[in-house]
Amino acid sequence: MLAYSLRRLLISVPIFIASTFVVFLMAVLSGNPLNKFLAISPPPPPQTIEAERIRLHLDQPIFERYWNWLTGLFRGDFGPSTESTLDIGTEVINRYGVTLRLVFLAMLLALILAIVAGVVSAVKQYSGVDYTLTFVGFLFLAMPTFWFAILLKEAGINFNNAVGEQVLYTIGDSSVYVAGGAWDKVLDIAGHMILPTVSLALLSFAAWSRFQRAAMLEVLGSDYVRLARAKGLRRGQVMRKHALRTALIPLTTVTALDLGSIISGAVVTEKVFQWQGAGTFLLDAISRDDVYAIMAWLVISATVIIVLNLVADLLYGVLDPRIRYA
Amino acid sequence: MLRSKSGAARAAALVAGAALVLSACSGGDGGGDGSGQTGQIFAECDANPNECNSSPADQLQDGGQVTMALEKDIANWNLNSSEGNVFESGMALKGVLPSTYLSNPDLKFTMNEDLLESAEQTNTDPQTIVYKIKQEAVWSDGTPVSAEDFIYVWKTQNGKDCPECAVATTAGYDQVRTVEGSDNGKTVTVTYDKPFTDWQQLWESGQPIYPAHIAKEHGDLNTPEGLKSAFDWFGANVPTYSAGPYKIENFEKNRSLTLVPNERWWGDKPKLERVIFRIITDAAQEPTALQNNEVQVIYPQPQVDLVNQVRNIPNVSSYVGLGLTWEHFDFNLDNEVLKDKALRQALFTVVDRQALIDGTVGQFTDKVEPLNSNNFMPQQEGYEDVISETGQGTGDVEAAKKILTDAGYKIENNRLIDPDGQPIPEMSVRYTTGNQIRQDSSELFAQAAKQLGVTVNVSPTDDLGGTLESGEYDIMLFAWVASPYPFANAVQNWTTGQGNNFGNYSNPDVDRLLNEAAAETDRQDALGKVNEANRIMAEDAYVLPLYQKPTFIAAYDNLANVRNNSTLDGPVYNIGEWGVRAG
Repeated sequence: MLAYSLRRLLISVPIFIASTFVVFLMAVLSGNPLNKFLAISPPPPPQTIEAERIRLHLDQPIFERYWNWLTGLFRGDFGPSTESTLDIGTEVINRYGVTLRLVFLAMLLALILAIVAGVVSAVKQYSGVDYTLTFVGFLFLAMPTFWFAILLKEAGINFNNAVGEQVLYTIGDSSVYVAGGAWDKVLDIAGHMILPTVSLALLSFAAWSRFQRAAMLEVLGSDYVRLARAKGLRRGQVMRKHALRTALIPLTTVTALDLGSIISGAVVTEKVFQWQGAGTFLLDAISRDDVYAIMAWLVISATVIIVLNLVADLLYGVLDPRIRYA
Repeated sequence: MLRSKSGAARAAALVAGAALVLSACSGGDGGGDGSGQTGQIFAECDANPNECNSSPADQLQDGGQVTMALEKDIANWNLNSSEGNVFESGMALKGVLPSTYLSNPDLKFTMNEDLLESAEQTNTDPQTIVYKIKQEAVWSDGTPVSAEDFIYVWKTQNGKDCPECAVATTAGYDQVRTVEGSDNGKTVTVTYDKPFTDWQQLWESGQPIYPAHIAKEHGDLNTPEGLKSAFDWFGANVPTYSAGPYKIENFEKNRSLTLVPNERWWGDKPKLERVIFRIITDAAQEPTALQNNEVQVIYPQPQVDLVNQVRNIPNVSSYVGLGLTWEHFDFNLDNEVLKDKALRQALFTVVDRQALIDGTVGQFTDKVEPLNSNNFMPQQEGYEDVISETGQGTGDVEAAKKILTDAGYKIENNRLIDPDGQPIPEMSVRYTTGNQIRQDSSELFAQAAKQLGVTVNVSPTDDLGGTLESGEYDIMLFAWVASPYPFANAVQNWTTGQGNNFGNYSNPDVDRLLNEAAAETDRQDALGKVNEANRIMAEDAYVLPLYQKPTFIAAYDNLANVRNNSTLDGPVYNIGEWGVRAG
């Protein structure tokens, strides 16, 4: 398995270089960060603009810039940002921390809901419960994230008004200043987490519950489950120990593979709820034509996705003994 | 407003809240029972912009906290640097850094009476200005605010003592010969090489004063390298110093800036115990944050939906103001066809500015009117209507056609033919991607031009500066900010070969008048010359001013002394006076 993992990681190297080069090229060609100075009245003096040009390496040929950037990575240097005071490396990692906090909680919630809904749907196939859950699943699948998030905010404000208390918050991950002790701080953070987590979770839940339902149905129809029942095992025991466990395998893989897209999907949630995470970092970088910041985001994201794909492949083998890697 | 209960009750409510949200069951109450008159604190602001919503200090609570939305993170703390010269950063530091002049809600500037006893022009040849700093004015560590601070800023900004300092502008500072201190540094005498009409602009609130004694700790202020090192240090580090009513308690990047009263402040003590700037980078999220009382003051760019949403929030007042930013169509005179004045005049004449306003910003306010000057807003000293007499911007199709036929043009088969018999080629009008109001305005321009047989294509640009610089446009819709200090700007924007004269307009009379106006010691003479130049420009039909862009402020009704200020100082211009009404 170690050899397999290494081989997989080695294959990633040329993919990484090719993809970073293409994105670097596109980012460099898409705009000039110095142009922001042009439409200001009065414009900054020419020496200011020239100094900025040199600081951002805009005086170097593009291949040289790419090479310097690539070799800089190994020294932990992500390059200069258009915001001279910004250390891109520290910033992108902090921002990823914010995003991952949001994403992991949302995934956890989505998984629990998806498993429950999928199992209930499968066990009670074609019942009223199944139809309702199916309908709800497709409803969330079809719902645009930003719109759903805005609805949630409205619901949150109505709830606050109804209980006459500031319970739920719509902006950020916590209040700037919380009066009271540790317990109040916990409540404050929880009050900030609920809406964005739910907003992000329900969208993954929709897809995953369908996976879980299909997997469960397949297992329930299989011979070994029927055999277990025939041998006189109780229904609950068969469901838990034999059926559910097997039916979790596909969901595990899907979840690991989905993480990348959830992180990128979190851009909208971050923006609406003003969590300053990796998604808003990328949006800001693009709007500033901040090439090195865009590249830093890409490097971290690519690494996360490459590693997660590997983990998914390995997990698949671990969970399903029939599949082994030579 | 929401009150705080016990922890257990809140925990229970949290769980219930989660359950409610999960079941996507939104109670349709909407809040607000409509009892009592709310939303009226800005009612006086049209008549009395500088004093509306005021409350004497004894009617305010001692203490309280106000959170205001700030639309950008603060990336650079040196407002005098090209990178730190950002409106939002300026707002955040308004209560911290001292300055000589302030811009008031009525769009006029006044001397900062907290810092200065007086500021006077004592001689016109050479132009000499004497500032007298208040004796009690000190930085928060006790060091007096003095001529040293003025000298430090001047040296970094004049382009000579520190050529490497990445300053936002050298305008004015580069014409100063000497800055000298006397009377223990409390008198500052500034002597100019060449008169600078806008002398009030130096050290004003957009280019505030930084402490020289702290600069000294980070570089030798007698060398270019030392000055640069101090200048950069101010950019990279959160100010621990203050010479304003507030000082910075805490800054969390991308999240918030917290201000608390500066105990060394010599003026009236601020009432609030804490002012928080919460960074909300998406204006569309501000109304819900306001409704949920997470912020109490917002100052976003107005859009129809946003304004309507805010107007429905109970206990919140809002106000549309008219600012210094003005929208305009510019021609690119490098285009051969547009070199002909008659065509330019006709195209500007056929644009109906009133219809354009009604179809865009007029949807949420009836205050906006066609703007008739390239240099002044109607509220400013010196405003004169120079556009109406030209007939431009009226949408008068017949008048526009007459200009063209008089000049030898013909319209055949809905196509405009020039005097040499050549059809006028298609042109493009460009605007900033994602700006709906500009897109609508550009489309109205294209429709108007169609009536003269000119095809104008509407196309967006995501790089306004780059497009202007490269000249890849025939007509551009964008905005300038009319400074309260207009003279240097006018030279930059309209005279031959200057950096901001993107469409390459050139008229020797305009060049002469504007250059003279910028180097006057008599402001009234200077204003007259700018208007004379503006009349020539209007006749030349290079720029068509459209309207003053509206600004928008909303705040909870219990806040006193918060009011609109559409200048670059923003509503925080009097942040030291803000307070919560008692009772």
